[in-house]
Amino acid sequence: MARMKFLCDAERCIECNGCVTACKSEHEVPWGVNRRRVVTINDGVPGEKSISVACMHCSDAPCMAVCPVDCFYRTDDGVVLHDKDLCIGCGYCFYACPFGAPQFPQAGAFGLRGKMDKCTFCNGGPEEDRSAVEFQKYGRNRLAEGKLPACAEMCSTKALLGGDGDVIADIYRERVFKRGKGSEVWGWGTAYGPGKPGAAPAPAAGAKS
Amino acid sequence: MRRLIAVAAVVSAILGLAACGESEQVIVYKQGKYQGKPDGKPWEGEPLLVTDAKWTKGDKASWEERIKQRNQGQNEYKRIYQQ
Amino acid sequence: MLLTRKASSQASPQLRLSRGVAGAMAKTIDRRAFLKRSGLGFGAGAVAAQLPFNIIERAEAAADAPGGKIEVKRTVCTHCSVGCAIDAVVQNGVWVRQEPVFDSPLNLGAHCAKGASVREHGITHDSHRLKEPMKLEGGKWKAIGWDQAYTEISDKLQKIKKESGPDALFVVGSSKHNNEQAYLLRKWVSLWGTNNCDHQARICHSTTVAGVANTWGYGAMTNSYNDEQNSKSLLFLGSNAAEAHPVSMLHTLHAKENGCKVIVADPRFTRTAARADKYVRFRSGTDIPLIFGVLHHIFKNGWEDKEYIKARVHGMDKIKEEVMSKWTPDKVTEATGTPEADVYEMAKILAENRPGFIIWAMGQTQHTNGNAIVRASCILMLALGNVGRSGGGANIYRGHDNVQGATDVGPNPDSLPGYYGIIPGAWAHWARVWNVDLKWLQGQFAPGMMTKPGITVSRWIDAVMEKNEAIDQDSNLRAMIYWGHAPNSQSRGPEMLEAMKKMDLMVVIDPYPSATAAMFAMARKDGAYLLPAATQFECSGSATASNRSIQWREKVIDPVFNSRTDHMIMYQLAGKLGFAEQLVGKKDGKQTIKLVKGKGGMDEPNVEDILREINAGTWTIGYTGQSPERLQAHMRNMHVFDVKTLRAKGGKDAKTGYDLTGDYFGLPWPCYGNAALKHPGTPNLYDPSKHVMDGGGNFRANFGVERDGVSLLAEDGSHSKGADITTGYPEFDHVLMKKLGWWDDLTDEEKKEAEGKNWKTDLSGGIQRVVLKVHGCHPFGNAKARAVVWNFPDGVPLHREPLFSPRADMIDKYPTHDDVKTLWRLPTLFKTVQQKYKDAGKQFPLVLTSGRLVEYEGGGEETRSNPWLAELMQDNFVEINPKAAADRGIRNGEYVWVSSPSGAKLKVKAMVTERVGADTVFIPFHFSGWWQGQDMLPYYPDGAAPIVRGEAVNTATTYGYDRVTLMQETKTTLCQVAKFV
Repeated sequence: MARMKFLCDAERCIECNGCVTACKSEHEVPWGVNRRRVVTINDGVPGEKSISVACMHCSDAPCMAVCPVDCFYRTDDGVVLHDKDLCIGCGYCFYACPFGAPQFPQAGAFGLRGKMDKCTFCNGGPEEDRSAVEFQKYGRNRLAEGKLPACAEMCSTKALLGGDGDVIADIYRERVFKRGKGSEVWGWGTAYGPGKPGAAPAPAAGAKS
Repeated sequence: MRRLIAVAAVVSAILGLAACGESEQVIVYKQGKYQGKPDGKPWEGEPLLVTDAKWTKGDKASWEERIKQRNQGQNEYKRIYQQ
Repeated sequence: MLLTRKASSQASPQLRLSRGVAGAMAKTIDRRAFLKRSGLGFGAGAVAAQLPFNIIERAEAAADAPGGKIEVKRTVCTHCSVGCAIDAVVQNGVWVRQEPVFDSPLNLGAHCAKGASVREHGITHDSHRLKEPMKLEGGKWKAIGWDQAYTEISDKLQKIKKESGPDALFVVGSSKHNNEQAYLLRKWVSLWGTNNCDHQARICHSTTVAGVANTWGYGAMTNSYNDEQNSKSLLFLGSNAAEAHPVSMLHTLHAKENGCKVIVADPRFTRTAARADKYVRFRSGTDIPLIFGVLHHIFKNGWEDKEYIKARVHGMDKIKEEVMSKWTPDKVTEATGTPEADVYEMAKILAENRPGFIIWAMGQTQHTNGNAIVRASCILMLALGNVGRSGGGANIYRGHDNVQGATDVGPNPDSLPGYYGIIPGAWAHWARVWNVDLKWLQGQFAPGMMTKPGITVSRWIDAVMEKNEAIDQDSNLRAMIYWGHAPNSQSRGPEMLEAMKKMDLMVVIDPYPSATAAMFAMARKDGAYLLPAATQFECSGSATASNRSIQWREKVIDPVFNSRTDHMIMYQLAGKLGFAEQLVGKKDGKQTIKLVKGKGGMDEPNVEDILREINAGTWTIGYTGQSPERLQAHMRNMHVFDVKTLRAKGGKDAKTGYDLTGDYFGLPWPCYGNAALKHPGTPNLYDPSKHVMDGGGNFRANFGVERDGVSLLAEDGSHSKGADITTGYPEFDHVLMKKLGWWDDLTDEEKKEAEGKNWKTDLSGGIQRVVLKVHGCHPFGNAKARAVVWNFPDGVPLHREPLFSPRADMIDKYPTHDDVKTLWRLPTLFKTVQQKYKDAGKQFPLVLTSGRLVEYEGGGEETRSNPWLAELMQDNFVEINPKAAADRGIRNGEYVWVSSPSGAKLKVKAMVTERVGADTVFIPFHFSGWWQGQDMLPYYPDGAAPIVRGEAVNTATTYGYDRVTLMQETKTTLCQVAKFV
């Protein structure tokens, strides 16, 4: 069974923000709402590394755990989605999320205190698939079109991988094998729990130089 | 990033809470159970005309096969060594 | 142990991970966090109110809503030279989606921020485009109709021409025009009667084109981005590809993953440097000492490729002499500030990992001795034997999406399409191709001016301001057409403002003309017109990527608002000025370019016919084989092209039956002969390991056959695979053909045309066909590359200190050139300026350099008008080292004044970072809309101001031009940074 995951290869990410604008364009996300961001550590000094961050569609999602109205659900493919009609915009999920994924529009269709908005893995929400209403509330539903998230599909260096966990693990494993290092990739832990991908050597702690 | 640290701290606090308080925190709703509208499955629709997508409507396995194949677009090794 | 089941246990993996990352992140602050915290006056909240979710409504419905006609148009990103393909989904004429093209062998579906956001061009709601033709009247922008605009503009142009001659007009064309428009504009300017035209290449790669072409034949990137996958080492010197050409990094990082060594040498620790194996910092403007320092170790250790040099390089002995005597490690370190160990390691890595590339962009070119710096780079690659093979060479990254094509066939002041020069023979050649009467054409020009190189875009302001007796044309410039070019990309902003005050007419033709418009309106109450042009998504045509591959764009949508395509505007303006028939080659019952119905049923030149005309005349650089039909077949069948070689192993186009076998993607020029010859294009220049009909070649014989008694032709045994002539040979003309007994290989028809002609002027293509196909030789001959370019001021590249140098002692040791009385029609200062500002370093101790950001392109008005990009970078800033900042009491994120010796000052935010050394500051060049602390918003046409405005770095950049091409010096000047008070 497909289990959808993101994985960002820090050896490849060049902080170009292609993923960010791909998301903006695909879903027409308004100014100030960032379903996806690129975060850089050690900016401007040796050891600089960037990673693209959005909702990681956790197998064990803290947002789901804390939501007081239980508006979250996990699809058969492991995508964490929510019902905006139910969401009360309380922001609890924002505090729970380790990635800062939940966003709260300040203006727009939902009034001043907007309902929560986040990455949907390009899978829309609980409305008729590929309908206008689904698009307006949640954005495009690429999975229902047989495609994968726009951010990962358009990544400039193919650093950001998104799709069936088994497939992206294979893609990533091939790279690690070629490099002979680098299993400490962002997202691996989330996707596969503690442990190392493939036959990769043990990762060094923290940021690498 | 300052926020991320704060978030990490908050989350660990929540975990702490979770560790000692197993009882329901929300009374009205059943904790852990989705209360919203049902959602369709991605494989229940027709493949879009404008893509090369092919799967059998309603057949999950064929949709998954399609997604797996599409996934290779993110793998430049596949494109480079395809021939 | 799921949180959702309220299990209590140890922290889950993502928590551990996030804590680790959060902890690491706390140590530094990145550019975006910096901006997020910077407390914008232009707050996100305020903007969010303007750009709410309701832009969704405009898209009307999801793409697969019933009833909507859905089409997919294949186009190419317009924001850099990588050439990323895009599938645009259009519903009922509205561009609703954009999909990646995984099949493209160039970008494999990948995009950077700019490429992923191009769909914004089709969004008319809240658009910041210019929507109507406008006129500046009483200090206000007033909408007028096209007819009125054309009438008033043409009346004024005719009046100026009558009073002051055709050279009183200067036309700045565009590297964002497609090939057909760029070509048509060069023709347009010629028919008007001047050589006063130019485009972005002047200020981005003019020194490259001159320096590199004079070294080995053609001035272009030798190989492709893709070919880096075949190399063992990459030296980025003067390129920040991770920001300027992000998708090229797909190939670079793939190569690195497979063992290729990546070195970045740069005054800044760029994002590219962060992904390299080795980073070397050096002082801005000391590229030659660094390169020659590397060469010193190569020669000293005998690492040069002696056999290769003997067979294929002329003058390397002179270089070796210079390098070994003058650039000893102590001298190198003195000039560059780079420790010897770093320089040695660079040499060692390059020597041990062959083949390899040197990669550069504007870091090398924008210097007063840029022409010499790029030649030093070529020499380094020649010494290593890297040039003319797969996996090695000079990968020179172009900037704009079609700057290569616009340079090849577009508006250049010293050449006609195809680098034909402006000599009488070349004019005769093109007059034939254009089907224009040569006598009439000559009559359009002022006497003697037809063969005199025109003014350059870098210095049009001097052509306005300079004393009339000092300039080499009758009149000063009085009128100006900015046709797809930003003003803030040229140096000496305040002087440009003064020049604008003196002009009689300013016409701006652009989808986003606002930077020029606002600047002009700040200086003047009248005298300007703005014409809304369509973008490249609103017309079709071809564009040449940096690797010389040519891609065909399908039109995605009709021109939005009241805009028109550039070629329609050219044709209509030509009509008003009386040369419309010549523009489309109508004479003697023949017409080379047919007219088709464009927007509103109006006539416009057929783009495919324009390409056919380019094919008919551009023999020099092989733009002859790329017929529209072949290019379009390539675009439909991208999947058959191999990523590493760009070659199609097979495949037939389903639509036309065209056999793609053997073609290289986009038929990278040179693609010699006519389309029927089926030359496959040339993926890697000068590569003798392949037959010429397989894209092989050798260095060009363009500089005579001998020099000082030494042959310049290639040595015996050095030739392209399968050539009938197995030694060096000169270029082909009818005489040589006859001498060799090859004349009878021509058909009778070909003979008629080829008589008296050479491979560049034989319109039948017979000479090229016979030489290539029958005899396996190269039409341009087979010679050695020149390490010494004796026709340049410094035959052997010399280090010369920038005019504004922080090191007075180095100015004494390495002084600049003497002043030149006339260079491209203008007096040009070198020594005078350098001496005057010799001690400027005391008052302005910091080196000011500039460069690209990933979010924006060029002058930036277009990209800063795109909300998805604008949100990412909302302020201009100066990168300053923590020491330099602390010494000045400057804190991160606060406003500072950056002042330069020109007297200009910039209000920008301080970004305190170790990315730059303590002696250097960096400001990106994409901003405009602030003027020395003042917001220019009131001067923009209503609704056409970009979302993000900021101080243009070129308001502060100083005088300084390359000795050969008048490239402006913007990579090394001086400044001081002070707290904002």
